[in-house]
Amino acid sequence: MTTPPTSDIDLFADGVVLDPYPVYAELREQGPVVRLRKNDVHVLTRYDAIRDALADWESFSSASIGFNPMTNEALAGTSLASDPPMHTQLRATLTENLSPRALRGLKGRIEVKADALVAELVEKGTFEAIDALARAFPLEVVADLIGFTGHVRDNMLRWGQAAMQVIGPMNQRTAESFPIAGELYSWCSQVRATDLTEGSVGRGIFDAEARGTVPPNTAGHIIHQYLGAGVDTTVAAIGNIVALFGSHPDQLDLIRQDPSLVPAAFNEVLRFWAPVHAWGRRTTKDVDIDGAVIPAGAQVAILFGAGNRDPRHYENPDAFLVERNPIDHLSFGYGPHGCAGQGLARLEAHAVIEALSRRVKRLVVGPEVRVPSNITRSIEELPVLEVIPA
Amino acid sequence: MKIVLDRPRCEGHGLCEEAAPQLMHLDDDGELVLDREQVDEADAALVNAAVRVCPVAALRIV
Repeated sequence: MTTPPTSDIDLFADGVVLDPYPVYAELREQGPVVRLRKNDVHVLTRYDAIRDALADWESFSSASIGFNPMTNEALAGTSLASDPPMHTQLRATLTENLSPRALRGLKGRIEVKADALVAELVEKGTFEAIDALARAFPLEVVADLIGFTGHVRDNMLRWGQAAMQVIGPMNQRTAESFPIAGELYSWCSQVRATDLTEGSVGRGIFDAEARGTVPPNTAGHIIHQYLGAGVDTTVAAIGNIVALFGSHPDQLDLIRQDPSLVPAAFNEVLRFWAPVHAWGRRTTKDVDIDGAVIPAGAQVAILFGAGNRDPRHYENPDAFLVERNPIDHLSFGYGPHGCAGQGLARLEAHAVIEALSRRVKRLVVGPEVRVPSNITRSIEELPVLEVIPA
Repeated sequence: MKIVLDRPRCEGHGLCEEAAPQLMHLDDDGELVLDREQVDEADAALVNAAVRVCPVAALRIV
């Protein structure tokens, strides 16, 4: 048994978060686990190591999902940052209103919204895809679902973005985002049932609290998790759909010819560009990965995007191929902490892909603009220069 | 071999049903029903696929 190889790469440097794939390839070749001196973290780089770690909550605790202690303290006691058995109870509460089971009735409404939005954009002919689609659509869906109105609706994007940003190490991006994440936290600590639209999921959580199925004074925290985890990541995924279809017209053609490829196409979008760049765990004991030992108490970073491009698991991993259907991609995580909102994310993304593939023959996109971000890797601006309608 | 469902963990994502519709389905309430729990070696590939795609690891083989 040996210590893992080390590297001087800074995982959160601007250049790395903007374009992490060359770095992922380098680290993956060094080993399934590499210690980054600058960040003082052990990164998991290969598919099998990542999937095994996600399943093994006893060795890889979620008590340290963030890369700075302030965020981990703030998240303590939430579903996101707890381990079984406490996590199991909190997770059930979180998913009671968010599981595919609970969302079954929403599919039709989400499809109608996506179709109307895409139809309007096709009609316009040119548009800025991130504002007009990637941000607009999930904001509308999530706001209506949870029951947000007024200033909360207006702040959702800023708040959601900041909630992800503060999970990073204590760099400038994190420091600047703390006050904004604090606005969200403070609102969620004070929100009352009557602040949310009648009949919404948010109101349902308060009803559950009143019935006693949700512990007292936790409804606001659950809403915090929905918003913190569900906005920025979905915006990233939908922006990536537009960018990848624009740059791979042959792949869009395949979906147009065979609409049953829609779920496979979303899986491939998530595999190809993981919305979440790095996510933390902390080892509870010495963990042996292929002979290299991560010591107990070490901060770990799971690199979903590195695992998703591991040639040991996916053939020709750097190619974007919608027929591949990589249903076991890592971008939603896996196991006890597998993304709680993935059912809703699928409903939204499938509706967008379906509407695009039905109404669009070709998207001519300009260069994508990205800005560095700690945790979510997304496109900031993406001009659609021309739409050739179907 | 036997398929075991950890019912509290199952959230009804339905990916297992897509992978192995011969063995399991979601009922009208979105609850997973194992149509066959005891399966032959001949169905091993199907069972493995269903277990593998569960995003919350609610299925296992014993």
